[in-house]
Amino acid sequence: MKLFTVFKLACFGLWSNRLRVLSAMMGVVIGMFAVIVLTAIAIGVKDTLMKQMGSLGAEQILVLPGRVLDTANGQKDLLSGLTNVPSTLTYDDAKAIEGVPNVKSVTPHLETITIAQYDEKNVQSVLVGTSDQYSRVQHANLSEGRFFTKEEQAEEAKVIVLGNNIHEALLGNQEVPVENEESSNEAVQTKPIWKKVLDKLLGESASAEEEASLVGKQVTINDESFEVIGVLAPNATLGSSTDNNIMLPIETALATTDMKNLTKMIVEAASIQSVDEVDGAVFNAIKTQHSEIDFSVVKQDQMLGALGKVTSILQVMLFGITVTALLISGTGIMNVMVMSVRERTREIGIRKALGATTSEIMGQFFFETLLLCCIGGAVGIGLGYAFIEVWNSNIEIFALVLPMWAVKLALYTTFGIGSLFGIYPALKAARMKPSRALRFE
Amino acid sequence: MIELRDVRKYYRSGNRKAEILRGVNLQVEPGEYVAIMGKSGSGKSTMLNLLGALDNLDSGTYELAGKSVHRMSRGRRAKLRNEEIGFVFQHFQLIPNLSVYQNVLLPLTYGRKRLRRKKSRVLALLDEMGISNKKNQKPDRLSGGEKQRVAIARALVNEPSLILADEPTGSLDEETTESILNLFDRVHKNGATIVVITHDIEVAERAERILHLQNGVLV
Ligand SMILES: Nc1ncnc2c1ncn2[C@@H]1O[C@H](COP(=O)(O)OP(=O)(O)O)[C@@H](O)[C@H]1O
Ligand SMILES: [Mg+2]
Repeated sequence: MKLFTVFKLACFGLWSNRLRVLSAMMGVVIGMFAVIVLTAIAIGVKDTLMKQMGSLGAEQILVLPGRVLDTANGQKDLLSGLTNVPSTLTYDDAKAIEGVPNVKSVTPHLETITIAQYDEKNVQSVLVGTSDQYSRVQHANLSEGRFFTKEEQAEEAKVIVLGNNIHEALLGNQEVPVENEESSNEAVQTKPIWKKVLDKLLGESASAEEEASLVGKQVTINDESFEVIGVLAPNATLGSSTDNNIMLPIETALATTDMKNLTKMIVEAASIQSVDEVDGAVFNAIKTQHSEIDFSVVKQDQMLGALGKVTSILQVMLFGITVTALLISGTGIMNVMVMSVRERTREIGIRKALGATTSEIMGQFFFETLLLCCIGGAVGIGLGYAFIEVWNSNIEIFALVLPMWAVKLALYTTFGIGSLFGIYPALKAARMKPSRALRFE
Repeated sequence: MIELRDVRKYYRSGNRKAEILRGVNLQVEPGEYVAIMGKSGSGKSTMLNLLGALDNLDSGTYELAGKSVHRMSRGRRAKLRNEEIGFVFQHFQLIPNLSVYQNVLLPLTYGRKRLRRKKSRVLALLDEMGISNKKNQKPDRLSGGEKQRVAIARALVNEPSLILADEPTGSLDEETTESILNLFDRVHKNGATIVVITHDIEVAERAERILHLQNGVLV
């Protein structure tokens, strides 16, 4: 049997039935599209989480309010454990930890939601009282100015560092978390669209009165005035972005606001070898200050363990969706092909009368199914890829990641599905008796 | 050329067994033009299917050009149909999605003979049948007579030694019947063996010999 001839016949068969072929292909296209996009979402979420968790370095230890429950095997159950209790952690706890041997630094986070005001613009933001170590520990780079120093902490200096979104919003370049106390402010806030387009076209600002930077300017928070000394570079990741934060010395925060309890602390051990020892010592140091255990000390490997659980749940889900999508599109294709074989009974009879062998007929219909699947699969994968590209260039919350192995796997599976579901229609066609097929009306 | 000996054929429907051919004997010499007549339902098509190796006989022997067809495997029979037999049917049996040209080309596609110049062979035949201007049309755009010309071109394209025709004019009017029968005459003059099945005496009379299928036997 000449394989090429049979292949050519299959192409021809598909082409001459192209309307039906198209509708049959939709199933595979949609199925493959879904599989590709879902894979990219799952892997994208995983990668983003990994990056965030990874930003908690191996020598870092997280101190959180509330108690993380232990699972049966003694592991900390981070997924269901962190209870939403009011924090009892204090700056004194942080100072106590600083005295623990082998502790390199302690970075406290004292967080609250507040409104920052500048030039009649009100912007909602997260106020973070912290230490000079913050930008290093959070891997937050400065785009302008500088971070505050130990000395400024000690002086309770009224200085702040702005997250990127806050900076833009206060400048009026962006209206993200804006809150208007009075409706009269609205006119100032919302720039007309034509002006924004003009801004884009002319690069940054066409409106003359706009400033490029707030460094050195005074911003009002809770009726007190703070000097902007730095701006952080954009830092867009899912969840723990610094973009909507305003950082100030924790001492200043304690003095000028009524905040008391820490949201978390990041403790750095002097070396990776000493992490386990420091972990225990930190726990004991806080325990002596608290009447009960209403806090948790978590190491990076425990975080990663919890993440692994999320990832494996994602993978099982993904596998289920994939199998379902493929079975549905596969049986869809098979039904269409079986129908096609029935409708083309006479054609099969004619071909056999003219000398087509059983294997040639089988080959034609098998390749038709296979080709149908592969074209549909390729189109679906292509569309999925396009979707991911569009998503990634427009949406910043988290990036979709499509690894090459997933594309290959998808291609192999379409091939497998095509082969598997191609067998039955092909056999059905090949088994027809020519004398009977010719009588078929 | 053809030798049928005591050929029998049954059809089973449910548990009833209908014997359609009850010991058919037939001898056709190479180059002969034979007509087989019979009432509707007498088993003419059944017999043509056997002659065309499209169906198995239940008992008896069938030799075609010295080869025992009744002993052949399915694959060998497909090859035999392709190389030795050309079919013309009452309902034309053209593939609707293929053009006239592609329909005529089909036997060459399945041919194991490495025929060169396939394309010019097809075009020459279409020209001979007077339908070369329709070569890119789909069959449903053709008249009955034109369809049958396509079918005859297809039957001839592989230069078979035997032409089998089952009521070739059954769907045609008188005028077209005449022109189709003239084509058969020409094919016969070129040396082909022809067996034509019909219930129309005018068609049968164009043949050299007329046989009648009655009660499952040829007389
Ligand atoms: N595949 C089949 N299965 C069962 N009965 C059949 C089959 N083919 C033909 N017959 C029956 O055999 C008889 C002869 O049919 P056929 O050879 O087509 O007759 P003709 O061509 O002479 O009109 C009819 O009664 C028909 O119903
Ligand atoms: Mg008949």
